[in-house]
Amino acid sequence: MIYLDNSATTRTLETAAETAKKYMSETFFNPAGAYAPAAAAERDVNGARERLAKVMHAQPQEIIFTSGGTESNNMALHGAAGAMRNSGDVIVSSVEHPSVFETAHALGTRFAFAEAAVDGTGRVDVGKLTAMLSERTRLVSVMHVNNEVGAINDIPAIYAAIKKKAPLALLHVDGVQAFLKVPLDCRYFDLYSISGHKFHAPKGVGALYVKAGTRFTGGQTGGGQERNLRSGTTNTPGIMGMDAAIADYVQNREAHIASMRVCKRRLAQNLSRLEDVYINGPTVEDGAPHILNVSFLGLRGEVLLHALEEREIYVSTGSACSAHKKGKNRILTAMGIVGERQEGAIRFSFCPYNTAEEMDRTAEAIQDIVPMLRRFKRR
Amino acid sequence: MEQVLLIRYGEIHLKGLNRPFFERALLSHIEAALTGLHADVQRQQGRIFVWGLDEADMEQAIDNMTRVFGVHSVSPAVAVEKDWNSVCEAASVLMERRMQNQSETSFKVFARRSDKTFPMNSDTIAKELGHELLQRFPEKLHVDIHAPQIKVCVEIREKAFVYMDEIMGAGGMPTGTAGRAALLISGGIDSPVAGYMLARRGMELSAVHFYSYPYTSVRARDKVVELAALVARYAGKIRLHLVPFTDIQMTIYEKCPSKETTVLMRRLMMRIAERIAREDGAQALITGEALGQVASQTLESLCVTDDAVQMPVFRPLIGFDKDDIVAIAKKIGTFETSILPYEDCCTVFVPQHPVTKPKLEQLRESEAAVDFSAMIDKAIADTEIVEVG
Repeated sequence: MIYLDNSATTRTLETAAETAKKYMSETFFNPAGAYAPAAAAERDVNGARERLAKVMHAQPQEIIFTSGGTESNNMALHGAAGAMRNSGDVIVSSVEHPSVFETAHALGTRFAFAEAAVDGTGRVDVGKLTAMLSERTRLVSVMHVNNEVGAINDIPAIYAAIKKKAPLALLHVDGVQAFLKVPLDCRYFDLYSISGHKFHAPKGVGALYVKAGTRFTGGQTGGGQERNLRSGTTNTPGIMGMDAAIADYVQNREAHIASMRVCKRRLAQNLSRLEDVYINGPTVEDGAPHILNVSFLGLRGEVLLHALEEREIYVSTGSACSAHKKGKNRILTAMGIVGERQEGAIRFSFCPYNTAEEMDRTAEAIQDIVPMLRRFKRR
Repeated sequence: MEQVLLIRYGEIHLKGLNRPFFERALLSHIEAALTGLHADVQRQQGRIFVWGLDEADMEQAIDNMTRVFGVHSVSPAVAVEKDWNSVCEAASVLMERRMQNQSETSFKVFARRSDKTFPMNSDTIAKELGHELLQRFPEKLHVDIHAPQIKVCVEIREKAFVYMDEIMGAGGMPTGTAGRAALLISGGIDSPVAGYMLARRGMELSAVHFYSYPYTSVRARDKVVELAALVARYAGKIRLHLVPFTDIQMTIYEKCPSKETTVLMRRLMMRIAERIAREDGAQALITGEALGQVASQTLESLCVTDDAVQMPVFRPLIGFDKDDIVAIAKKIGTFETSILPYEDCCTVFVPQHPVTKPKLEQLRESEAAVDFSAMIDKAIADTEIVEVG
């Protein structure tokens, strides 16, 4: 099997799985308990919180553990909007993940929804966004790395523009695809979402960074966990599993990133030998190290996907959350990638454990399949 | 007072000497639909009675009954001895239950006396029971003989039955009384409805699905299996044949005129379906085509596809609008599954502008130009069979 759909999810790291298991079968205590083993579990979770904060150059009290990216994004938007007394504008980029896009739409009548355009590479056009900002702007949400094409947004520039023209606005950054893979600096955003299973942690765990001093109402209510901002029994196996996955990533970060970049370069190079193949989004070097989006003209992405599936090579057409929605791909459309180019788009996404040899085998398979499939293109 | 389901059947009453054949079939399907529930099914005087059901199973049993073809309607009734006091008692118990969440309401008594030895005739029963109920529920009930809120029904037979509800069944004829046909099932909205319509007339179904391995998703396959299972809730067991069609599609695509690919595909599907149907003991094919819906469903195209097979091709939806079909799909519970957006074999390789008025001679020629026989044999040999229902 060659797994090139790491932006959808990753295989859980062995040490992360073992750590999670330890917190299921040994240190399984509810950290809210009054006895010593429960207190020990609480200490461990707070240790994980401190380590995660350190990776983000943040303070531990700025980290809220959640169930993953969708919850973090929902909580960020609802929590920020909920704490605002007055009404105003909410601006999200036109290529946001549905968990931001749909949530922003649903914020209610107090907020007017506006979309910030992206350029042809999938990056938010900072000039156009700046022009949209005003005293009325309350919330801006922009993803750090685009999940479909790997474009990296200029978060510091966006933050600077916001602070200048829209002093009342908060900036939320969806960092689900970016975390650990591209540099981050928490001085340049107010809220930041991460999701564990995108970096070899188990599914069902993530976090939201909320800058100290931000007016914020939090997510689900109940027992008052996570400083009363996110109630629910603490997911110790998930949190500790994610802690282990982060530790591994941080320790090997340079090698990991370099390895993914090598894979991306190699696959792109191999594929460039085929005719009518286009890279969508930023150039191979400009984009995130782990996402490569390619259009094969004259065939349908889904058909190529299944042909590769037959050879146990797993890729995706667009993000997994939208692969089953019929019709147009909102993200590629916003980038101006339409028609044949959109129909034939495939996303390859890598992890540090992919190898150059896998890239060669994938490219070989594609070189084998594509000319054959093109004979059957729509005429 | 005993709980009983009173089941009426419709069209079977029109049958002559072969009526017992239909009644036996219906009885056995009702028994099958009650498998796992405690029930004793009996046929008496043009009605079927289900005795001995647990109160907790009642709803499930009624739901199952409404899916058995041949059942006109179902009434949950209470059965009592044929004496006047018992009848009044039963009616007031039912009324008491019904009135629990209601204030003032209207009612009417409907009586029917099959046992003519009962001393009161149906008119008298209705009047007297109406009077009795008015006495027992003063100020809460009044009579409305034109549009009553509550219908109190009494039937005097081997016992006295009292009930208030008549739940409509699926109608039609008992499954297995009208032979077997093979349904071409695509995964869309229409074909499950077409299968349902003819199953409702008593047909047993085989099903044939074409897929483009490896170019269609495994979810598309699962979806068809699920659709067949949904139809099987009404039609009984269905043998679903999954036919790999990629080689034939690609050959058509490469060797035949591009405008004709869709119609040629249909012809070859029909040929394969006919052979599978024969092997499966089916005498006809069923498709979900509706006139003019898409290019392959113009009259010209239908003539050309019919020409590929000898068996009769039933198209129960031919005169239906899409809205009508969708309404039935929703009613029988296949719609939600049908609209799951997975590619099926028809959408993977299709020309953008298929011919809408194909000429028979020309299509025959195009098809004859390529020898498909070995490919057809192989497709049939590689067919996977899934039993559903």
